[in-house]
Amino acid sequence: MSPIQCSLSVPTQSKTPQFDLKTYWTTLTQEINQKLDQAVPIEYPDKIYEAMRYSVLAKGAKRAPPVMCVAACELFGGNRLAAFPTACALEMVHAASLIHDDLPCMDDDPSRRGQPSNHKIYGVDMAILAGDALFPLGFRHIVSHTPSDLVPEPQLLCVIAEIARAVGSTGMAAGQFLDLEGGPNSVEFVQEKKFGEMGECSAVCGGLLAGATDDEIQRLRRYGRAVGVLYQVVDDILEAKMMKSKVDEEKKEKKGKSYVAVYGVEKAIEVAEELRAKAKKELDGFEKYGDSVVPLYSFVDYAADRGFSFGESS
Amino acid sequence: TLQEDQQKPTFDFKSYMVQRANSVNKALDAAVSLKEPAKIHESMRYSLLAGGKRVRPVLCLAACDLVGGSESMAMPAACAVEMIHTMSLMHDDLPCMDNDDLRRGKPTNHIIFGEDVAVLAGDALLAFAFEHIAVSTLNVSPLRIVRAVGELAKAIGAEGLVAGQVVDICSEGLSEVGLEQLEFIHVHKTAKLLEGAVVLGAILGGGTNEEVEKLRKYARSIGLLFQVVDDILDVTKSSQELGKTAGKDLVADKVTYPKLMGIEKSREFAEKLLNEAKDLLAGFDQEKAAPLIALANYIAHRQN
Repeated sequence: MSPIQCSLSVPTQSKTPQFDLKTYWTTLTQEINQKLDQAVPIEYPDKIYEAMRYSVLAKGAKRAPPVMCVAACELFGGNRLAAFPTACALEMVHAASLIHDDLPCMDDDPSRRGQPSNHKIYGVDMAILAGDALFPLGFRHIVSHTPSDLVPEPQLLCVIAEIARAVGSTGMAAGQFLDLEGGPNSVEFVQEKKFGEMGECSAVCGGLLAGATDDEIQRLRRYGRAVGVLYQVVDDILEAKMMKSKVDEEKKEKKGKSYVAVYGVEKAIEVAEELRAKAKKELDGFEKYGDSVVPLYSFVDYAADRGFSFGESS
Repeated sequence: TLQEDQQKPTFDFKSYMVQRANSVNKALDAAVSLKEPAKIHESMRYSLLAGGKRVRPVLCLAACDLVGGSESMAMPAACAVEMIHTMSLMHDDLPCMDNDDLRRGKPTNHIIFGEDVAVLAGDALLAFAFEHIAVSTLNVSPLRIVRAVGELAKAIGAEGLVAGQVVDICSEGLSEVGLEQLEFIHVHKTAKLLEGAVVLGAILGGGTNEEVEKLRKYARSIGLLFQVVDDILDVTKSSQELGKTAGKDLVADKVTYPKLMGIEKSREFAEKLLNEAKDLLAGFDQEKAAPLIALANYIAHRQN
C-alpha cells in the first residue's frame, strides 16, 4: 500500500487497474442527476422547490452517497434500478442536513461548494423549510419509486429506518450538535457522527436493497463508516495544505473539530492510512463476490488519493 | 327528550380523550428516551411532552378503531404524527420564522435550548417519526406500513405542511390575499397533517380503500375547520386563555378568516364544515364512529 500523497495529481491506485472508477462514477452521476432533476420538479409554491433544487442539484456535488449505495447493491448482484430511488433519497437527506448545518445559528457558513449557501439566496426561513421538506421527500421517493418486484416491503422498511437513524438524534444531528458544543468531545466521535454516518448509511442501504445477510450488512457498516471519515480527513488535510500556502488562518479557526485541527497534519495522515486499511480489510471479507467488489475498493482509494477530479463536463 | 337521551348509549368524550391522551403520552415518553447527547434528547422531549391536547394522535387511533384495528397497530403512527406536529411548531417558533417565545404557556424550545439545538432537535424528531413507524408498528403487513410512510411523507413535505408554511410566509404583509389563497394555507398548514393522522390510522387498522378515502375527506373538513376556529379564537380570546400570544396574526398582518369574511360568516363557515365532516361518517357504525363525531364537535366548539 502506498502512502497517501494528498496531492490532487496522484493517479488512482486501484486493486485492479483495468477498472475505471472515473467512468463508472461519471456515468452513474449523470443518471442520478437526471433522476434528481425529475424527483424535485418546480410546482406551486415555486420558491420552496427552487430552494430545494438549488441545493440538491448544486454543481460540483460528487454524489458519493448515491454512488456508494448503487455499488453496494450491485456487489450482491442487486439490480441498480432497485437502488436508484434510495440513492436519490440519500442525496436529498444529505442536502437537507447541509442546508441546516450552514445556517447562521449553526456553522454560519456563507458558502458551500464554492456557491452561496442556501439561506444566502433564499433566506433563513426558506432554508429551514427546504431542509424540512427534503427529509420527507426522500422517504416518499423511496416508497413511490422503488420497483416492488425488485425489493420486498420489509427490506424497504429497513432502508427507511436506516436513513432515519443515520440523520437522527444519535447520528448526524448528534455529530453536528457535539461539533457546535465544542468541549471535551473526542474528535473521533464527532467525525464519525458527522461524516461516517452518511457513508455507513449509503453502503448499508445498498446492501439492504440487494438482500444482503446480517453479517454482510455489519461489514458494510464498518466499511462505509471508515470511508466516510477517511474522505473528510483527507479533505481537511488537503485544505490545511492549501491554507498554509495562503496563510488563511481565520477560516481554519471557524471550522469545527477535525483531526487536522486537533492533532495536526502528520497525525491526520496516519489516521487516514489506518482508515484506508480498515475499509479495505472489511472488503476482503467479500472475496466470494469476485470482481463485483472492485468499485467499492476503488472508492477507498479515491477517498484517500483523489486520483481524479470532476470537471465541468461531468 | 330526556327519556330518549337516557336510553341512547352516551359517549363520554372527556374521559375518552383523557384516557387516549394518557396512552399517547406514555407511548411518546417511551419512544423518545433520554439518550446521548442528552441536550438534544432533552430538547426533543421538552416540546414533545409539553402536554398538548394530542388531537392528531387521538384521531389516528380513533380512525384505526373505526375500521376494526387495535391500538397497537396505530400507536407508533399516532406518535409519529405528534412528533411531526411538534417539530413543525419548534421550527415555526424560531426567530427567523414567527419569532414566538411562548407556546402552550411555556417558553418556546429555542428560548430554553438555543436556536441551533431547536433546529437539530426538530430535524431529529422528523427523522425519528419515520423510523418509529418503520420499526415499531406491530401486527400490520409491511405493505400497509410502507403505504403509511408514503402518506405521512406526502402530508408534511413541499406538497403538504411545508407548502402551507411557505405560502403563509409569502402572504404576510400582502394587501391582496384572497379566500382561495387563505384556504390553500390552511389546508396545507393544518389540514394535511390531520388528514395524515386519520388516513394513517385507517390504513394501519386495515381499512378498505373506500373507507380510507371517506375518512380522508372527513379529515380534510375538520382540518380546515380547526384553522377557521383557531382564527376566530385568535381575535376573541386573550393570550392567557390561549396559552400563546393572542392577536399575533393581526399584529403580523396575517390574513385570517375573520379578517376576510368577518366573525359571523367565519362562524357559519365553521358550522358548514362541521356538518360536512359528520355527513362523511354517516355510513359507518355510529357507535364506533362516536369518537370521530365527538372530535369534530370538539374541534368546532373548543375554547382554546
